[in-house]
Amino acid sequence: MLSGVALVLLIAVSFAQRALTRDRDALGLSRYTELKGAPPVLELTTVALGGFRGLISNALWIRATELQDNDKYFEMVQLADWITKLEPHFTQVWLVQSWNMAYNISVKFKDATDRWRWVERGIELLRDQGLQYNPNDVLMYRELAWFFQHKMGANLDDAHIYYKRMWYKEMSTVFGMDKPDWDKLINPQTPEEKQKAALLRDKFKMDPKFMKELDERYGPLEWHLPEASAIYWAAEGLEHAKADDRRIDPNDLITLRRVIYQSMQLSFQRGRLVANQVDRKFEFGPNLEIIPKVSAAYEQAMEDDPKNRDHIETAHRNFLKDAVFFLYTYNRVADAANWFKYLTRTYPDKPLLDGKPNSLPKNETLDDYAIDRINEEIKDRGTDKTKLVLEGMERKALESLAVGEEDQYVGLDNLAQKIRNSYMDKIGTNSTINTRLYMPPLREIRQTVLDRLLDGELSPQMAAQLRTKLKLPAAAPKPQSTNSPSGESTVISTNAPSTGTTNQ
Amino acid sequence: MQQIFAIISLTWKAAFRYRLFWVITALLLAAVVGLPILVKDDGTAAGFAQILITYTLGAVTGLLGFCTLWLACGTLARDVEECQIQMIAVKPIGRWQIWLGKWLGIVSLNAALLAVAGLSIYGLLEWRARRLPAAELAKLQNEVLVARGSAREQNPDAFIAQEADRLLKDRMEKRQLADADPNIVRQQLEQQLKAELQAVPPGGMRWWVIHLGAARNYLKDQPLFLRTKFHTALTVQPDTVYADWQVGTPRKTPIWQDEMSLAPDAFHEFPVDPNLFDEKGDLIIGFRNPNDTVLLFGLDDGMEVLYREGGFGLNLVRGLGIILCWMALLAALGLAAASLMSFPVAAFFSLALLGISLSSGTLTNVVSDGTLMGYDGEKGTKGHSPLDNVAVPIFRAMLDVINLVQQFSPIDSLTTGRSITWQELGLAFSQIVLLLGGVLSLTGIFIFQRRELATAQGTS
Repeated sequence: MLSGVALVLLIAVSFAQRALTRDRDALGLSRYTELKGAPPVLELTTVALGGFRGLISNALWIRATELQDNDKYFEMVQLADWITKLEPHFTQVWLVQSWNMAYNISVKFKDATDRWRWVERGIELLRDQGLQYNPNDVLMYRELAWFFQHKMGANLDDAHIYYKRMWYKEMSTVFGMDKPDWDKLINPQTPEEKQKAALLRDKFKMDPKFMKELDERYGPLEWHLPEASAIYWAAEGLEHAKADDRRIDPNDLITLRRVIYQSMQLSFQRGRLVANQVDRKFEFGPNLEIIPKVSAAYEQAMEDDPKNRDHIETAHRNFLKDAVFFLYTYNRVADAANWFKYLTRTYPDKPLLDGKPNSLPKNETLDDYAIDRINEEIKDRGTDKTKLVLEGMERKALESLAVGEEDQYVGLDNLAQKIRNSYMDKIGTNSTINTRLYMPPLREIRQTVLDRLLDGELSPQMAAQLRTKLKLPAAAPKPQSTNSPSGESTVISTNAPSTGTTNQ
Repeated sequence: MQQIFAIISLTWKAAFRYRLFWVITALLLAAVVGLPILVKDDGTAAGFAQILITYTLGAVTGLLGFCTLWLACGTLARDVEECQIQMIAVKPIGRWQIWLGKWLGIVSLNAALLAVAGLSIYGLLEWRARRLPAAELAKLQNEVLVARGSAREQNPDAFIAQEADRLLKDRMEKRQLADADPNIVRQQLEQQLKAELQAVPPGGMRWWVIHLGAARNYLKDQPLFLRTKFHTALTVQPDTVYADWQVGTPRKTPIWQDEMSLAPDAFHEFPVDPNLFDEKGDLIIGFRNPNDTVLLFGLDDGMEVLYREGGFGLNLVRGLGIILCWMALLAALGLAAASLMSFPVAAFFSLALLGISLSSGTLTNVVSDGTLMGYDGEKGTKGHSPLDNVAVPIFRAMLDVINLVQQFSPIDSLTTGRSITWQELGLAFSQIVLLLGGVLSLTGIFIFQRRELATAQGTS
């Protein structure tokens, strides 16, 4: 009798078994899952060690922590490798170890080269190994994207310029100095093209087809800069999340989308490389072409994340204000006017200037806004400060002209003129006040700045370039000095080994 | 002595007969050559050298230690169990000579194996170093493959005590103490003085005068390294702060200056130019704090000057000497256990003692907490057990004994390019071999002499 009941129950359970196995997998309750793509030795150790893996992993972690507390980092790469291999599906292990290298350890070194090495190690741990064993893990994509957006893209680390320079160098091995040619990377024909395509796929683990798609969706992006890579990895995370959306926390997807629109904001602010061919370096400039897509990204984010809509709206509004101002200073007045209208329409009740509740869009024209924005910096309208700001704008305008940014030159010059006019209107026509608070004409200010730039503030090559642009005669050669050099330099350097100076 | 040498040679013959020597040599060489290939480094030459030294010496120490213990237990216990010891005991040789001969045989075997391993490590490092670019090689030779001495500021405890006394006396004379306990006031004054010495306020300066002593005679034209660590007073630590350094004596020596961006709570090492100390050997280091926050330089680890004292080769030899002392102690432990127990029991007992000595972290926690029950972080209280009155003193005594051995870290010193001095080696020999090894040896010899060999059970 009992045997019969047991038999019936056993048969009943067999029907539920499939559903239970499916649910266990979906909820992540399985202790062991197949380690796809792992080398045979790793497969063997993960099975053979069984429950001891956790114990060994803990022991290694304790060792790593002790070594780090004693500022001994030479073993960290190996220990992180072992710890993550022992627990390859434990997401937090990967995240903590990679974060530790990229953030905590890197900052302990004073040299930019040493810091970059550790940032690279953190990125490689996640990109080359973590994602290999956990291809659908949203948190890893988010973390990887964050390294590019925050550690390399932002300016909180003293060595951030070095990181950008090194990343530029890395990306140049694939793209050269130019914009990416997607067709050549997707369908390489020549051996050189095949080599570059292989480098992009094998070393950087990036898919050129997907990159092209992102460039069309969010770009044109500057792929030599880290923000583009941040967008890539966040977008990859969103794509892979679709593979198993039952196991995904919607909040994690929101963080990925946030990385995208925040990186697009960075790309807008300084996502364009301006080549200074003369001094053979790059400078950052705003990427004005992606303004519509950045705005669209913010609007999408507001829809996807209603809980944080207010914060995203604030960020969107600040972005639009910046977009209007940058377009204006780059002499794209018509585009600036269009976006100003859009800003007025979208946020009619929000002031344009901080601390000035009356500066509503309906009370300000485009010109007023641009001038008031500069005047925010001047605040007390003092003569000296205003003159300083005008000199700064003229300096920036002339430097832009020297590197070929004629639009910015014209835009800044026009804006400087308007600020000067605004200042003169404010002080009025009283001759006594005019004399006391006199502001020279802009052409005089421009000439003073130009003289300083040509007299040694710019490199000789840049100065020559500027003379050419302004159609000025070439500089007269300086007479030879009869005095020998005075002695050793007393320039103090930063962030470099053995660059301290010695004075007698 | 002839009898002892006979036992030594018998021990060696046994090691070769059982191919033990060749097997361990092969394993050691495999470790030295194979581990650097398997283990990842941080991408720098210095990192590679540090990984190589750490893992190979660590593997050598572990392998040799285990083999020494096993061999020491086996060579005596098995001879007794298999009744082979009677063949030697009946000869005109004292039991103590048998025991000592076996010990010296094992120690000399270890010395030979350590020499093989040490030569391989040294050869591998030199071979890899020669293939490096000049800049990397210079960095390696300055920071890792070197024996660096250390100089610190004179201990300020005497000055602090003197100054605290003076301030206390001053306050007592001015009747400023009221009902306060003078001892507590004095303690507070000392703490205040220490804090003033450690803290550098925004815009403030901190000076160190470091006396290089006799080392100044051979440091002409040699670069020096400053090793510093500081903390900030902020609850949320910034990633980095700025530091303005100046080294040298105005009007007497050249002045070296630099500005750096350094992370708090971490050691930083950087080179300074040579010949910055004066004729008395005093090196003056100045730090200016350009930040908005107070920086704290600890009195112990705030500033240290590192200088080249010798080469890596001799340093490695001294380091291996300390490892040999550890092996000698393990040999004495194994032989002492085997003097009384059978082979498996002696082996288990020795390994258990070794395990306990490696768990000194746990013992330290019990002694510092004063209880076996540990500290409850949630309640903020320490537990209590009736066994504490017995266990804590025992653990304290055990810790004192263990620290006699563990206070030496030759592998750590070699990876950081620190000098292992002859004095340190001498101290290690005295503490580990003569004192602890001597106690174990005397115990083992005493037991072995009184043991009735004929009552031992044969295994065949």
